[in-house]
Amino acid sequence: MKTEANGRIRARGLLGSALAKAAAYLVMGTFTVMTLYPLFWLTMNSFKTTREFQVNMLGLPMDPTLENFKMAWKFGEFGKLFPNSFIYTIGATAGVIALSVLAGFAFAKIPRRVTKWIYGSFVVGILLTINTLMIPLFIEVTILGIYNTRLAVLLVYVGAGLPIGIYLSTEYIRGIPTALVESARIDGAGYLTIFRRIILPMATPVATTLAILQICSTWNEFALINILVSKTELKSLPLGIFKFSSSLSTDYGKQFAALVIGMAPMLLFYVAFRKQITRGVAAGAVKG
Amino acid sequence: MTHAKRIDREAGRAYWMMILPAFLIYLAVMAFPIVLSFILSISNYSGGKMFGENAEKWNLVGFAQYLRVVKDPWFWNALKNNLYIVGVSVFGQLPLGFVFAYIIYRRLVKAPGFWQGVLYVPNIISIIVVGLLWQSIFSPNGPIAQVVNDLARGEFQGKLAAIMDGVGHLDLSDGALSRILDLGGQAARDMFTDPIPELRDLLSSYGAEEGAMVVNDLTNLLVNRWTPEFLNVQEVAMLPILFVILWMYTGMYLILFLANMQKIDVQIIESARIDGANEMQVMRHIIIPALTGTIVNSAILAISGSLSSFALIFALTGGGPGRITEILSIYMYKSAMSGSRDYPLANAIALIMVVISILLIVLTKAIEKRWGGKEE
Repeated sequence: MKTEANGRIRARGLLGSALAKAAAYLVMGTFTVMTLYPLFWLTMNSFKTTREFQVNMLGLPMDPTLENFKMAWKFGEFGKLFPNSFIYTIGATAGVIALSVLAGFAFAKIPRRVTKWIYGSFVVGILLTINTLMIPLFIEVTILGIYNTRLAVLLVYVGAGLPIGIYLSTEYIRGIPTALVESARIDGAGYLTIFRRIILPMATPVATTLAILQICSTWNEFALINILVSKTELKSLPLGIFKFSSSLSTDYGKQFAALVIGMAPMLLFYVAFRKQITRGVAAGAVKG
Repeated sequence: MTHAKRIDREAGRAYWMMILPAFLIYLAVMAFPIVLSFILSISNYSGGKMFGENAEKWNLVGFAQYLRVVKDPWFWNALKNNLYIVGVSVFGQLPLGFVFAYIIYRRLVKAPGFWQGVLYVPNIISIIVVGLLWQSIFSPNGPIAQVVNDLARGEFQGKLAAIMDGVGHLDLSDGALSRILDLGGQAARDMFTDPIPELRDLLSSYGAEEGAMVVNDLTNLLVNRWTPEFLNVQEVAMLPILFVILWMYTGMYLILFLANMQKIDVQIIESARIDGANEMQVMRHIIIPALTGTIVNSAILAISGSLSSFALIFALTGGGPGRITEILSIYMYKSAMSGSRDYPLANAIALIMVVISILLIVLTKAIEKRWGGKEE
């Protein structure tokens, strides 16, 4: 009796799970194809001439050419865009990490009554999306005379990254036992020494998370730099790629090559650091 | 006592040294623009030099701009589009992300890392690349149109061959010619002033053995090409945009849900299964309650994401056709940056968006109290 009942449950479970599994594969498969096919289609077509693309949009390139990439690289001035994107990304990332971990330590381990207010103001900033402020920022930067400078771009990127950076660092450093800090205090160490000797070495995980979040957002950022910079010498990759939308809308080959050049670095970054990126995104998606 | 005071002063100095750089930049980049936008929104400043010699004369004129915004139908149109984006997030990305995460979490598919990795890919690509990519996919002469046109062409050729009684035999009777014209519809007849005789003239210039060429040329001439204006039809232009948003960000919600599902103690689920709970009961009584905070959190993210989105629509349609796909950020950008450079209006819009954000923050706090904000 008992075995029969067990067998029935297992059989039903098996049938149900086989069906469920088939459905699961169908759903996941469909969405995976929908996700990857447009990117594959784009890459494939970047190797076709515009003329071939117009008659053969869906097939593999019959006569693959690198001409599009050469033309796009030259027309888009990617030789200037890449160094700029690196400067902005590295500068903003280093700035956000340094300032966040420093302030996070102060908020977490140096008891002051103002912490509640200042730290609170940063946390509120997480939901205050900076894109809504692009016009006043543009006017502010113009008044200060730093329109069209790298400084303005870096300041804005660092300022925009600080709320989440400080929130994550403070919460992380709060988890470090206060006893460590206190015993060093009793031994006569100053807070700066404690920061350097104790906190900094322990802050690598949160610094990694911040680096991942900041690199992804800075490298792809468009709305803000679009109003901060108009000189080609200062443009980042997304700004440069946008040039391919209007003036060249019929020259598909060149446009596709530019888009492939634009997405390749982040795809490589993603392939290399997928686990860290996934973890960072989950940690960074917090509310204020 | 003096010793303690000295230590306290040292602590104070260290504290301010550590937080001031961050705080000053934060004030300059986030707080000051809010104050500035408020001042400019009640002024008549129009973008000239603000201080010093030859500065533009400007003064405060009151809250007229806010009235202008509220009376502008395009403001409500933009707000509506922002709400559509929230809608597609809450009712599209969120449930889809949840289902994907659930499938991966319960190991209904093998290789969990692969699916998660692939579905997140669109998030990692520059929004501008995504926008321009989909712009060419949705183009009137793009791949979607080509697939449909190729199918239509094949069907047309088949019908044509049937009328011509197999390729090679040219029937130039009125009846046959009329049926050929019928295949192309009214558009085909409109190409001629006197369709049937003119078509007969045209076809009689071909040799008897040129049947295949006749079919080909007639198809080119008569088949109706479909040039869909996905992004250029007022009534539906938001739909492709919403689709691309769904395509792009669903993976982010998948990661959020999966990360929080993995925090659930597996033993609870296992013991529930041993006690005879089925998959649906596990979902309803264990997984969903454990994720309430994440779901609320995601919905809030969706609203703030909608307020901050700009680049995708900027690249896809630029707010067009006309102004129909503008969202608040683009409505603000265009007010200030194109045409009349209407800074007071743009700053009023900025401040309205800030107020919406602040309401959102207050709402979050309230929800946190209600549900206890136990998630991370």
